[in-house]
Amino acid sequence: MLHKDVLISLCQARDMLRDTGDGTLSVQDVAREVGMSPFHFIRLFKAVFGETPKQCQLRARLERAKVLLMMTEASVTDICMEVGFSSLGTFSYVFARRVGVAPSAYRAAARSMMKVPGETPKQLIPGCLSLMSGSPG
Amino acid sequence: MKIKLNSIFVDDQDKARKFYTEALGFKVSKDIPVGEFKWLTVVSPEGPDDLELVLEPNANPAAKAFQESILEQGIPITGFEVDDIQAEYQRLKDLGVVFTMNPTQAGPVTVAVFADTCGNLIQLYQAGA
Repeated sequence: MLHKDVLISLCQARDMLRDTGDGTLSVQDVAREVGMSPFHFIRLFKAVFGETPKQCQLRARLERAKVLLMMTEASVTDICMEVGFSSLGTFSYVFARRVGVAPSAYRAAARSMMKVPGETPKQLIPGCLSLMSGSPG
Repeated sequence: MKIKLNSIFVDDQDKARKFYTEALGFKVSKDIPVGEFKWLTVVSPEGPDDLELVLEPNANPAAKAFQESILEQGIPITGFEVDDIQAEYQRLKDLGVVFTMNPTQAGPVTVAVFADTCGNLIQLYQAGA
């Protein structure tokens, strides 16, 4: 059984992994921060969150990149660095593979849906329930 | 007026689809693309078959904050009724599901709590056990 303190540690670890700012931590760093061996940490994290710490970190980076592509004027290269990639080639490849389109194409598509520059694009706020009300069933 | 939907937030709909069908044994009812996300619902094969659980993306920052805070406090987001909680507990445990509470008598019910791999805790309960 997972003790409450361990659950809290895992939640904190997830926060650290998702922090895409400066001083990005490696999985080993995060395991050390929460006082677990890397092996134990990775196994437990996957069982609770359904993905490895590395996958969690990558997903957070790509989500942050999407927001920056939509909401800022920063270049793709700057965004790539900002979310913790050191190579533009790797970033573009991983982004395209996971998201389905290249970063620049993602930006163009998101922009075309914005009525007012700077508004929160509707992709960020899925209104599933309101959108689909009446149609299911 | 009828209650036909209940929804929970999940941090990734593909993960959710996998866990809620493969581990919990629910069946996908609707899987309709909505922009980047999906209108994804599951039903229980044990019924009622018109009561759907919506696996809703937590992409809204408010949803994310709510989900994370409730998880960190160890509070289950919803509960599912089972006929034999010990058997269900053992079955899920064997699949690698992590419990934060083993089956425990709580007044007229026995409850257990597990992590759904999508950022939630879920309570199982068996009435009259």
